[in-house]
Amino acid sequence: MSGAAVAVTGLGAVCGFGWGLEPLRHGLAAGHTAIERFDRFDTAGYRTSLAAQAPLPPRGVDAAGGRRATWADRFALAAAHEAMACAGLGATLAGRAAGLFFGGATGGMFESEEYFAAIGAGAGAAVSRLASQQPSGPADAVARALALAGPVTTTAAACASATLALGAALDALRSGEIEIALAGGSDSLCRLTHAGFNALRAIDERPCRPFRVERQGMSIGEGAGVLVLETAEHARRRGARVVGWLAGCGASCDAYHMTSPDPGGEGISRAVAAALADAGVAADAIDFVNLHGTGTAANDAAEAKMLARVFGARARRLPATSTKSLVGHLLGAAGGLEAVATLLGLADGAVHPTAGEGTLDAALGVDLVVGAPRALPMARRALSSNLAFGGANAACVLLHAEAR
Amino acid sequence: MNAVVVSGLGAVGPFGVGAEALAASWRAGGPSACEVDRAAGYHRPGGARRALLAAEVDLAALVPPAQSRRMSPPARLAVAAARLALADAGLAGLEREAHAATGLVVGTAFGPAWVTEQLLSQIFAQGPEAASPALFIESVASAAASQVALGIGARGPSLALTGREASDLLALVDGARLVATGAARRALVIVVDEMSPLLHAVLDRFRALARPEADGREVARPFDLRRSGALASEGAAVLVLERPEDVAERGRRPLVRLAAAARGFDATAPAWDWGAGEGALAAALAGGLRRGGVEPEAIELVVSGAAGTRRGDRLEAGVLRRLFGERLPPIVAPKGSLGAWGGAFVAAATLAASGRAIAGAAEGDVEDPACGVRTAALPPPAPALTLVSSLASGGAAAWVALAVGQPGPGSSV
Repeated sequence: MSGAAVAVTGLGAVCGFGWGLEPLRHGLAAGHTAIERFDRFDTAGYRTSLAAQAPLPPRGVDAAGGRRATWADRFALAAAHEAMACAGLGATLAGRAAGLFFGGATGGMFESEEYFAAIGAGAGAAVSRLASQQPSGPADAVARALALAGPVTTTAAACASATLALGAALDALRSGEIEIALAGGSDSLCRLTHAGFNALRAIDERPCRPFRVERQGMSIGEGAGVLVLETAEHARRRGARVVGWLAGCGASCDAYHMTSPDPGGEGISRAVAAALADAGVAADAIDFVNLHGTGTAANDAAEAKMLARVFGARARRLPATSTKSLVGHLLGAAGGLEAVATLLGLADGAVHPTAGEGTLDAALGVDLVVGAPRALPMARRALSSNLAFGGANAACVLLHAEAR
Repeated sequence: MNAVVVSGLGAVGPFGVGAEALAASWRAGGPSACEVDRAAGYHRPGGARRALLAAEVDLAALVPPAQSRRMSPPARLAVAAARLALADAGLAGLEREAHAATGLVVGTAFGPAWVTEQLLSQIFAQGPEAASPALFIESVASAAASQVALGIGARGPSLALTGREASDLLALVDGARLVATGAARRALVIVVDEMSPLLHAVLDRFRALARPEADGREVARPFDLRRSGALASEGAAVLVLERPEDVAERGRRPLVRLAAAARGFDATAPAWDWGAGEGALAAALAGGLRRGGVEPEAIELVVSGAAGTRRGDRLEAGVLRRLFGERLPPIVAPKGSLGAWGGAFVAAATLAASGRAIAGAAEGDVEDPACGVRTAALPPPAPALTLVSSLASGGAAAWVALAVGQPGPGSSV
């Protein structure tokens, strides 16, 4: 059973390409990866030393959130303020029926590590460094800055978090609980995830190479992606410019393994099918897909199986891409930034390329966009999907502004 | 939208195993607090030293050791409580295929604290390559949901919500969303937290925990003038949410019905404490009750999340006074005896709302004029409509109204 689509009226982003939508849009079109050696922390002793670290913020952004703000807080605040401005909503949501639905995995873990290292060394450390330590820290920081009074939630389901948060926002808007939502996510680089994924041998020593024969794993990134969502009626009433639509979301769990996806792609297929049903969009109507596309052998294979299950023979000629190949894996925020990238693709009539060296893995049967953007001026409907630790899957269907 | 009921409850914690053990402990004034291991030197001198811990509770009958050793402490507690909840709902022993549309929502304030600490110790003391893959897998907040999913074959939506002290009711509201919208046929809401020594020390350094009193006791005193902080605790509670017709089909009666839900945020709250935005929170609460068709005058009991913190209790009292005016219903505050984290609160609220168990204030209050409310010594044993309230440090808030009896036309959350 499908529900009403909600309008996307604002977008905001921070990633390895820079702070703001324009660096992201330019980077996606250029197709050159932002994954490189990084210096947020010393990588000596780590198996790999590449990631897509956000550059230092432009003047004025650094102080956002105060001196206790974590990197993830700053990314979230910058992306949220940009999305609010894009939506013509000003600097506050006070007095509005508004909510905030974020996904996150690490929150202020980087700053917690600094605290932990200090106390482990017997040195003094201010416990206030941990004030925004939890995954909910960025959402709370944004809610505070925008004077929100409605629902504020942080979904922490590893790499599917932000797409699950989009689904929660969609339901809150449809139910009448709120009329406006900010949705997406924010996460930052930290030692724990870099060491952990390396321990799993899930990080490529080179920039990740999704759907290539030579793929060896992911590359981690950081940043935020935020969407302003509104009920169609609310957007119409205030004369907002619609930049796209969130038409439907779906979720599932593999119940298969703590780290490996169901190799048959059955779990992610159910999430995609649920998103399509929720959107009232037939699989045949999807014009391109923005896959999770991490570059791990198992994940890419499972997603290829999903494409075959859901799209049948058309899977081999359905344009597919991986934003992670360009900005790394934003973990809990990945679905937020990838939804932004997908909406930019719909707006610009072009699917961004998937970066990465090597030979396309023909056995996967994926029509991967490589080298340069692929022009799809008539694209109206796209799918974005995410998979996570523990088998959590999520997907969403996004529409061009003129698709309704 | 489907109506949603709670059909089963499971709980494990310092009180023992099962909802009946929790009820008995609540009536008796709560479990005994234990000394927290302070050998690592994290604790400050003169600070809190005790917590309600579940280390001695034997879960082997619920989580076989071969499985248990691969789980983080929160995952272990969650799996045990989930088994109890499914049994309470009459769903024990279901085939894995019968859980194809079962969703899972974890609510956790802190996530897997011990595992995270161990990983960081490995990284800093031995180098990044010493990080254990097994620990890393268990370090994500949703690991408890994943372990429950693997155990029973749950293949509906699976996620975790973190919203500090409001994580419990935020998860309950989200679980209800999954069932109400049809995204899941049933949902297990898993409220879980552990209390590691490092976490205990950090909470104490934030002045969140009750200070030792003259007699050495550390007592949480919700709404009391003498309160100095919360009592740290750990454990897990699992609620099974279903559509009422599915419960009736099995010939069973639900424990309670979700009559209304509300969520809000206090933007005046600093990141590490409660704020003073009682007006905005009261408006959010009133709006949620209105959407559910619940009149405040019909509420017969409030199960408050007040835990004995200075600002948190004052905010809670202010919100309740704004909603109810002079006619405050009887209030119980289970966190005073059962601790502030680990699911005991939401389990006690369900027990109270369903008429299965309730306990009044364990010790007499000294009224705080800044709060202006007192907990009930003799609360109503079978309330028709109960308001449950969770306000978090940092600003998040959630409430549910739980009713006994069948839903009215169009009633849903």
